[in-house]
Amino acid sequence: MRTLLSILTAMLFAVSAQAADIAVALTDDRVEVDANFAGADLTLFGAVTGVENPAEVFDIIAVVTGPEGDFNVRPLEQRGIIWLPGEPWTVKNAPRFYASSATRPISDIAPLPDQAQYQLGVDNIAAVDLYADSDAPHPFNAAFLDALETGGQYQDRVGGISFVKGALFTIDASLPADTPVGDYGVAVYLYRDGVMVSRDSAELRVNKVGLERRIYDLAHQRPVLYGLLCVAVSLLAGWIAGLAFRKS
Amino acid sequence: MQIYLPIAEITVDPFVIVFLGAAVGFLSGMFGVGGGFLMTPLLIFYGVPPAVAVGTEASQIVASSVSGVLAHLRRKTVDLHIGGYLVAGGAVGAVVGIFIFRYFRAIGQIEVFISIAYVVFLGAIGLLMLMESLRALLREPGAKRTRRKHRSAEWMAAMPFAMRFRRSGLYISPIPPIVLGFLVGMLASVMGVGGGFIMVPAMLYILNMPTKVVVGTSLFQIIFVTAIATMLHAAANQTVDILLALMLLTGGVIGAQIGARAGRRLKGEQLRALLALIVLAVCARLFFDLALPPDALFIVGPAL
Repeated sequence: MRTLLSILTAMLFAVSAQAADIAVALTDDRVEVDANFAGADLTLFGAVTGVENPAEVFDIIAVVTGPEGDFNVRPLEQRGIIWLPGEPWTVKNAPRFYASSATRPISDIAPLPDQAQYQLGVDNIAAVDLYADSDAPHPFNAAFLDALETGGQYQDRVGGISFVKGALFTIDASLPADTPVGDYGVAVYLYRDGVMVSRDSAELRVNKVGLERRIYDLAHQRPVLYGLLCVAVSLLAGWIAGLAFRKS
Repeated sequence: MQIYLPIAEITVDPFVIVFLGAAVGFLSGMFGVGGGFLMTPLLIFYGVPPAVAVGTEASQIVASSVSGVLAHLRRKTVDLHIGGYLVAGGAVGAVVGIFIFRYFRAIGQIEVFISIAYVVFLGAIGLLMLMESLRALLREPGAKRTRRKHRSAEWMAAMPFAMRFRRSGLYISPIPPIVLGFLVGMLASVMGVGGGFIMVPAMLYILNMPTKVVVGTSLFQIIFVTAIATMLHAAANQTVDILLALMLLTGGVIGAQIGARAGRRLKGEQLRALLALIVLAVCARLFFDLALPPDALFIVGPAL
């Protein structure tokens, strides 16, 4: 928190006659997932420097991107009387979490080349080429985006960015309960009249902690030991349960 | 309240899970069945990934069989000799089952495969049980049951390595128990069931084992084979969620006690007809999930 304040103060009192600048900082660069994790609300702080009343002339887009992963998209095909998944279509290196917030709809703020270059908005996630060499949306990629938007892993929203006082603003973002662990990136972009004036980024780490983390690590790093432990725990728990109800 | 399951990687309501364990435990206490064949589909309905439901259920069956096995061992109603051959066949079956499971997981069809396996088994067993109990209910009260002959079938004695199983009073080859154990072991790995619902009738009507040792011996086989299946699922697929298993067990032991008491008030045939209807209902739900047009025409999941 102290570093955050010093950054912000430095930004605020920096030589302010020059071009507008944007900076972002996190109150907490670690999010910890434990058994009671029901999603986390992140508050990102930022400041726009070099101008007065930035809220009136500037637009801000903020993007939170999670760690990457490969996904399979399978069409369901009717075979006889049941529906079976068909051949998979693989989406490689797609973010497992993506959330954008903007002061106005992204298409009103940023020109198309910027949207593509900086992956502004779910439809512009580079790993998912929605209009792969044609004008019609690619059916598998469209289905992929649909599924992740429905599941809450991908979100676009207008709002969530509010100026607190003068140059200071906050961005509210929420991580769902099943958010993947790993490194997240936070990027903010400052626009004025359709031109990007400045940008900044920060990093965030989502960790599993506590008993859950130990179970997860053990299961994936020492699977044989974990299996033995599962059998032992089951035997013991069953035995204790049997004793508890023996004569009752 | 929500709890995050470390292996299933979903958040669940612990009260729902404990209640689910209690409900299935109630049924298993009432009907004297393991309950794995109901629990695995219910976990899938609740949103647990099918692979995790199967692996976790195997470990829960280990836990829920312990006290039964110990009680039967104390009462000497376990045929350890024939049980040994059942376990040997079961161990090999469990390993083969894991390979089948991994194959279908690798080609992305494991969910459908598990569902189809359940529809087939629940459908067949539910219908058989229903017909059997209806026949019993419709039979005139005074009519005598035909007594089952207790004699080893000749074809099993004629097979190689025939030997005497003293506690069961049988003279048969160990090959039929090994084959039976193998099939049940495969089911344990693929479907996350103990397999008692297949093994008990097979022991009674095919192997001709005396009723007295059937339940104890099948539990003896189940505990070993589900322990092996748990090991293999944990080691090969990382799909055993011990936290989920413990929550299910908590509900399960309580439910089983209440169920056992409730079961004493109902007649055997009525119980069996009721269980048959429950089994068929779960089967129907799984079938309609497969057969009705899906909400989304695409399935999106992480690539393995």
